[in-house]
Amino acid sequence: MAAPRSNREFIDACVRSGDAVRIQQEVDWENEAGAIVRRACELAAPAPFMEKIKDYPGFSYFGAPLSTYRRMAISLGMDPNSTLPEIGREYLKRTNSEPIPPVLVDRKDAPCKENVLKGADVDLCKLPVPLVHEGDGGRYVGTWHAVVTKHPVRGDVNWGMYRQMMFDSRTMCGAVFPFSDLGKALSEYYLPRGETCPFATAIGLSPLAAMAACAPSPIPEPELTGMLAGEPVKLVKCETNDLEVPADAEIILEGEIFPDYKVEEGPFGEYTGYRTSPRDFRVTFRVNCITFRNNATMTISNMGVPQDEGQLLRSFSLGLELEKLLKSQGIPVTGVYMHPRSTHHMMIVGVKPTYSGIAQQIAQLAFGSKLGPWFHMVMVVDDKTDIYNWDEVYHAFCTRCHPANGIHIYKNTTGTPLYPFATPHERKYSIGSKVLFDCLWPVDWDPINDVPTLVSFKNVYPKEIQDKVLANWTAYGYPPVK
Amino acid sequence: MNQWEVFVNDVKELVEDTDLELTIRTLNPGMHKFTYKRVRCSVSADLKKHADQLQVRLGRGQLSGSRFSIKVLDEVQRMPSKYL
Repeated sequence: MAAPRSNREFIDACVRSGDAVRIQQEVDWENEAGAIVRRACELAAPAPFMEKIKDYPGFSYFGAPLSTYRRMAISLGMDPNSTLPEIGREYLKRTNSEPIPPVLVDRKDAPCKENVLKGADVDLCKLPVPLVHEGDGGRYVGTWHAVVTKHPVRGDVNWGMYRQMMFDSRTMCGAVFPFSDLGKALSEYYLPRGETCPFATAIGLSPLAAMAACAPSPIPEPELTGMLAGEPVKLVKCETNDLEVPADAEIILEGEIFPDYKVEEGPFGEYTGYRTSPRDFRVTFRVNCITFRNNATMTISNMGVPQDEGQLLRSFSLGLELEKLLKSQGIPVTGVYMHPRSTHHMMIVGVKPTYSGIAQQIAQLAFGSKLGPWFHMVMVVDDKTDIYNWDEVYHAFCTRCHPANGIHIYKNTTGTPLYPFATPHERKYSIGSKVLFDCLWPVDWDPINDVPTLVSFKNVYPKEIQDKVLANWTAYGYPPVK
Repeated sequence: MNQWEVFVNDVKELVEDTDLELTIRTLNPGMHKFTYKRVRCSVSADLKKHADQLQVRLGRGQLSGSRFSIKVLDEVQRMPSKYL
């Protein structure tokens, strides 16, 4: 099965497999669409494809595009029943391959150019921008999208998923954290020079382009999308600036970021499951041009309590990118995983504990990396603990993490304003704190006499007894174990 | 009559019968609902004092029970002139 090349191919594939439902009755853009998406997330239900939107004939919504592992497997062209480790291995295989550069297509071959609004015709309200949650600070244009920018000196392209609220017909505002690629470019280059930063927002991307925009990978997102898809992504030049955007995206907003003019943004329900960050003056985007496909579909991610694609996909990609980083440093990790229910705040690392201080080394690399601001807990377990099995991880945590020696706190690190536990001061200045839970037996303990023996079916019985019990399980009168 | 909404941290920020500068959003039905303007205005807890109505939300989006009437005096342009 080939990976879907566009949002439309992805929707078709999900409908065919039962992983999306077509909703043909009219849905209100004010709260109703958001509530449907939220409930679908909380039930891990099929993604809603809402084909008729109040006030906006000809537009549709696709919600919760990647909030299940089944849909993530479909997006990669895999069997929807693939297991999480299988999906992870495939992601690592593809993202460790040779980069596949994008190709530039002519505008006549770019569906995103089917409708073009410029000048006085530009009005964000002509798009079905949803009010995602009751009480949000505004209607959010960008919840599952890519903000495309290019570094003014290095020239490298960045696709980032920075939330964008509609302030008025031509203005958006959003949270761009100071440690992000765009945040650094604004503060280091554009602000001192008083220059505006060209941007383009692409909405309704192929699922793999969205996955790339969400992934904290050092590989430029256009190349990463190609690697994930196994073929080049098609880009097209913008109408009003030199940026290039995915040609098959549903909607493109082109414009400029004002580095020295901010307007009020938020509050907004976020992936942590809370509205945490205060309403504040944030980065302002002026829209100069809107292009969109005929019958455009706007993608909606409704972030809140687990689980939505923000949690699921960020957990997935943060974990795998950390695994790559740790392996690149020669650390004998056996796997890295974030349970989505942690709202990508806890990194669980499995490792062969071959030397002292290995958990501290892992935590320092993890927290000190570019990935670090997005999580504040690292839990290190040994290679015999199944990191995907929360019961095993929780048992290891509760029994092996020494209350005085195993918990290590790092203060005054980089954080985000979205941490629900952070003080108001910490939120305002993106100040974080981190903690390591070292759940490894100390290497200076005698493995025979000091390390406790795990008392479990698979650990304390001889193999022949285990085999006999398993073979006779139903004969004993138990139902088969799935 | 127009319906407006404002976000504040504390309702006390809405001092009555004085010139205020607020960022308010329209609640009038239609496709421009929830778009913002920066305005100079006067508010009153007397809901009949001004023709327009103002609803209040607090810092995390909670709807306040306080209601005001509002008179929008004029629109304020905050954007630096170099961007206009």
